Amino acid sequence: MQITDVGLIKLAAGLTMALGSFGPAIGIGMAVSKAMEAIGRNPEAEGAIRTTMILGAGLAEAVAIYALLIAIILALVVGG
Amino acid sequence: MEIEISLAAEPLFQIGPVAFTNAMLTSVLVGLALVIGSLVLYRRWSLVPGRFQGVVEMGIGFIYNLCVGTAGEKVGRRIVPLVGTFFVFILMANWGGLLPGYGVLTIRNFEGHQVPLFRPANSDLNTTVAMALISIATVQVLSISARGVLGYIKEFFEPISFMSVILFPVHLIGEISHIISLSVRLFGNIFAGETLTIVMYVLIPLLVPTMFLGLEMLFGFIQAMIFTVLSIGYIALATAKHD
Repeated sequence: MQITDVGLIKLAAGLTMALGSFGPAIGIGMAVSKAMEAIGRNPEAEGAIRTTMILGAGLAEAVAIYALLIAIILALVVGG
Repeated sequence: MEIEISLAAEPLFQIGPVAFTNAMLTSVLVGLALVIGSLVLYRRWSLVPGRFQGVVEMGIGFIYNLCVGTAGEKVGRRIVPLVGTFFVFILMANWGGLLPGYGVLTIRNFEGHQVPLFRPANSDLNTTVAMALISIATVQVLSISARGVLGYIKEFFEPISFMSVILFPVHLIGEISHIISLSVRLFGNIFAGETLTIVMYVLIPLLVPTMFLGLEMLFGFIQAMIFTVLSIGYIALATAKHD
C-alpha cells in the first residue's frame, strides 16, 4: 500500500478526532463525577446541580465538536 | 447508498448579487412561525392561563429569572427580550430541523443542481455568526452605556500598569474569540448532529436513527441554553461595577 497525500489527510482527520475528543471526555467525566458527589452530599439541590452539570458538559463537549468540524473539513473538503 | 454532506448551505435562487440559501429559507420560516404564533397567543391571552399559555409563561419566567439573577435587576430587565428571542429562535430552529422533509425534499435550483429545499437554520455558519455578532455587539453597547466611553476603553487596558500595552491585544482577541466560540459551537453541534444522523441512517436504517433524533432534541435544547446563558454571562461581565 502506498502513502498518498489524500491518505495522509484522511489519517490526520482520524487523528484529529481521536486526540480532540480525549480532553473533553476527561472533562465531562470529571463534571459528572463531581455532580454525583454533590448530589450525594446534598440531595435537595439535585435540580440546580443537574442543570449546571448539563451546561458544563455541553461547554466541554463543544471542544470535541470543534475537533469534529476540523476532521469533517479535512476529510470532505481538503481530502476530497 | 451514497452519503451527501455539504458544509455550506446550498443556494436556491438569486436576489441581485445575493444567493438565497435553503438555510435562510428555514430561518425565515421559523421567524414567521414564531411571530404568527406570538400574535395568535397575544390575541387570546387570558388572565387565567390555559395549558399552552402556562407553558409559555413558565418559559418567559425562566428566562426572566435567569437574566435578573445573573445580570442584576436593571440590566437584566433590559436584555430579557433579546436573549429570550435568541433562546426561542435557536430552540425552534434546532427542533424544527428534526421534522421530516428536512434534507430529503429536493428542488432544482437556478444553477440546475438538485439541492435540498430545507436545511436546519443553525447548520449554516452564516446564521450562527449573525446571532453571535448581534450578541457581542449588544455586549459592547451595554458596556459603553454602563461605564461610559472612557470606562469602556479603559476596560481594554485593565489592570492598569506598564503591561497595559501588551494586554490591549489580549483583550481584543478575547472579545473576537467570543464571537468565534459562540457561533462555531452552535453550528458545529447542529451540523455534526445532522451528519451523525445521516451516517447512522445509512449504517442501520431501522430504529437506531430514531434514538439519535431523541439525542438531537436534547442537544438542540442544551445548545439553545448554552448560547443564551453565555450571552447573559458576557453581558453581566461587561456591565458589572468594579470596586
